[in-house]
Amino acid sequence: MEIAVVGTSEFTLGFQLAGISHVHNASSDEEISGILRELLNDKEVGIVVVDSEILARMPERLRMRLSDSISPTVLGIGTEEDTSLRENIRKAIGVDLWK
Amino acid sequence: MALDIQPTRSELINLKRRIKQTQNGYKLLKMKRDGLFHEFRILLSKMVEAKRGLIDSYRLAKNQIALAAAIEGGLSVQSAALGNPVHPEVEVTRRNIMGVVVPEVKGTNLSLSLEQRGTGLIGGSAYIDEAADGYGELIVKIVKAAEMESTLKRLLVEIEATKRRVNALEFKVIPEMEEARDFIQLRLEEMEREETFRLKRFKNK
Repeated sequence: MEIAVVGTSEFTLGFQLAGISHVHNASSDEEISGILRELLNDKEVGIVVVDSEILARMPERLRMRLSDSISPTVLGIGTEEDTSLRENIRKAIGVDLWK
Repeated sequence: MALDIQPTRSELINLKRRIKQTQNGYKLLKMKRDGLFHEFRILLSKMVEAKRGLIDSYRLAKNQIALAAAIEGGLSVQSAALGNPVHPEVEVTRRNIMGVVVPEVKGTNLSLSLEQRGTGLIGGSAYIDEAADGYGELIVKIVKAAEMESTLKRLLVEIEATKRRVNALEFKVIPEMEEARDFIQLRLEEMEREETFRLKRFKNK
């Protein structure tokens, strides 16, 4: 299976440099959400890498589907620490264990 | 309290059996919850570190590629990016932690070595190579983090569901059944007393 990268061309360039060929360049949020929907049903993709800032702007339902999906696994990366997982932990367990 | 119970002996026996069964299930679920929680704690501490490492490598890789683009020009970075003959591959399999299906990711060729890159040993530039190295390392970390993140999410959902079930059994289902059992016992005793009293009165006549 492949790793797919979705984002603006600056975001994807570095991954291309490292050898990833499954890159989707898109600039608008609508385009990206369309691509992500397609990737969710793609059997050949194991991991989807997205800019976490863009991921945060996606519609709520798509975000839920993205985070629930096992294959592919969707991971947002960015320069800021994202708090969604931390928030989830706090909700489920009642204590902030993220330390 | 649901008191539409028949105060009979067979009902009492049934109820006692059911209470025992439920308590058994409750104990098992509690163990499952603790086990899941244990797994979760171990994974979480690893995840926190991995997440931090991920952010650091992302920052570093971004700087490196910006440097490469500034020195070599954006176009040559792009052309270097196009020529890679080897692609990183991952394999996602499913693993089972106490009934929770989690992904297990294995990768090959994640970080390409200098010879594996399309630019060749002579054609490339040091800055571009460094950026590619940085991103290669980033990909290694991404693969690890992706596996852990979805495992954690799944465990979290399961922990929450199990916790709810345990609490429902402990504070709602079992107490209600015990109340019903006590009620039946009380009724049966009362009926017995009534019966003896009736017999006594019958004898006196």
